[in-house]
Amino acid sequence: MSLAQLLLNGLALGSAYALVALGFVLVLNATGSINFAQGDMVMLGGYVAIALARLLDLSGLAVLPLVTLAMAGFGLLFSMLAWRPFRRRPPISGLLATVALGLTLQEAMNALEGAAPQAGPTLIGTGEIHLGPLGLSRASLGILVACLVLGSAQGWLLGRTQFGRRLRASAQDPVTARALGLPVDRLIATSFALAAALAGAVGLLLSGPYFVTPTSGNDLILRAYVAVTIGGWGSLKGAVVGALLIALFESVVAGYASSVVATASLYGLVLVLLAVRPAGLFPEPFGRRA
Amino acid sequence: MLVVAGATAAADPVRLPILVPVTGFLSLEGTSQRNGALLALQQAPAGLAVTGEVVDTATAPENAVNALLRVLDGGPVPAVVASMLGTQMLALMPMAADEKLPLLTVSGTASLTEKGNPWVFRFFPSDRLAKEAHVRYAVEQLGKRKLALVYQTTAYGQSGATYIAASAKRHGADLVFSEGIDTDVKDLAPILKRASTSGADALLLHLHAGPTALAIRQIAALGIALPVIAGSALHQPATAALLDPKELKGICAESAASPVSGGSPRMTKFLADYRAAFGADPDAYALAQYDGTEMLLDVLAQGARTGEAVRAALASKSWDGIAMRYASDGHGDMAHSVVILCYDGVTRIPQIVRRYDGLDVAAAD
Repeated sequence: MSLAQLLLNGLALGSAYALVALGFVLVLNATGSINFAQGDMVMLGGYVAIALARLLDLSGLAVLPLVTLAMAGFGLLFSMLAWRPFRRRPPISGLLATVALGLTLQEAMNALEGAAPQAGPTLIGTGEIHLGPLGLSRASLGILVACLVLGSAQGWLLGRTQFGRRLRASAQDPVTARALGLPVDRLIATSFALAAALAGAVGLLLSGPYFVTPTSGNDLILRAYVAVTIGGWGSLKGAVVGALLIALFESVVAGYASSVVATASLYGLVLVLLAVRPAGLFPEPFGRRA
Repeated sequence: MLVVAGATAAADPVRLPILVPVTGFLSLEGTSQRNGALLALQQAPAGLAVTGEVVDTATAPENAVNALLRVLDGGPVPAVVASMLGTQMLALMPMAADEKLPLLTVSGTASLTEKGNPWVFRFFPSDRLAKEAHVRYAVEQLGKRKLALVYQTTAYGQSGATYIAASAKRHGADLVFSEGIDTDVKDLAPILKRASTSGADALLLHLHAGPTALAIRQIAALGIALPVIAGSALHQPATAALLDPKELKGICAESAASPVSGGSPRMTKFLADYRAAFGADPDAYALAQYDGTEMLLDVLAQGARTGEAVRAALASKSWDGIAMRYASDGHGDMAHSVVILCYDGVTRIPQIVRRYDGLDVAAAD
């Protein structure tokens, strides 16, 4: 398999990881705490997509807005359960609450749907598209396009809108933000909704080509965590770069050596990075969470 | 705990604990094991009053031990339907020896019956036998001598890979490519491509259900033309359901049985009964546990009530099950047949193309 093909495969897979990492960073930036259930939200999004596609007999593309909407609602509920009751407690309380809710989600889906993998709808059909000597599945193309659109939309929302400015302000200094009249709690709840909506989109995108099981979120949250560690806590750009780096290891290094070597060398690199650049590739200027 | 009564209830029914993993990563297979046992109980011989008690063992060995302690607190039992998870069986086996309690399982972990514990009865071919058939089909039936193997880096995968390597050597085949992958690897294309260009003339897969489906999908997308023989995960209807029939074209797999393929009036009846009872298609684990429980119920119907009496009967008798004829080899291995099934690219119902019986001698190292 050529290097170009391996890079293309890695780019497509990395795009999906990047979307998971972006949702992770969104909540991290809003609350200063880690949402360990982000991967489980992706899993839930996959099951919601399968259920909606089956119930309404719709294509993946048609189901996408419905999944993001449903998951946004779930995100609000999640914030009420996992963040609101613990917002004045030490961050570890909120973190553990997300772990508990994530495990609850896994067991609930196991009870409802069983442990067998299930295949969801694909965004733009099945089959391969050939670009000269390179091949790309339609599912991977869908992931790439969706990542570009959703990632850009998130960047625009956080960086260019009043909502984004308010969100960042309340995350950086919630006390001052409240004193200035910003609805900090509502902004944070909205962050959870956005992160869950993003998770829903990724869940749909991954459920077609890679299937979904009640525990499939576990792998994703680990990758998101590592991506954010590599990229720098709280950095959107860093999360994307970190996620792409992970996927490139999984595709390119596995292509030339083996997947065991790919995994070992990736985590070896993470250790080196932690030693020489502990704040990540793109550290926050004030290093609040580093 | 779920309690199910079989046949006509009478005074002092026999208690039959069913300790199986219905939650956790093995819940798909564990649910099949449970359902197979429950269906057998529903069809218990007339006059035998037996009560099944289902306890979830999840995935930790200590859960299985606690489950057994709980059921033993309720009084003596003549035997236990025990978890198909090898690590849980290993934890239960010393207790079974202490309590003189037969454990009926469908675990494939070969070492269970290699420890000299006379209380274990396995109604499913061990990994050693399954991988023997896996390799023999590639070498003897397809005439392939250069094999590529992609396996899982879990205990299940590594154990199977060891048996495949030994079997290939025994049959004069070269393992020209052998690589393990973690269960969370999504992009299998680089590995599959390297396997296909390694000089191999057949590709063996020994993966869990999800990765098996993922590999077959990517093999189809890459246009890899090598004959592919997968592990038993593919025979599970839930695994095949993930794939388009066209992606399955020409793919084969080893398994203890393939209930959805039919093949005999008894199998057809089992299939219909199972679907009616559970609203799902049975797999080989369900059938194996059904057969094993049927044999146990027959032993109970003949009057055995103690663990020792049940052990003696299971160790000495044979049973014509639906999947195969079961008889102990002296170590508790009751199942000695493996089938190879292949998909035609039109439906997800495989056809059995080869059956290997009496594999014990051939598989001995």
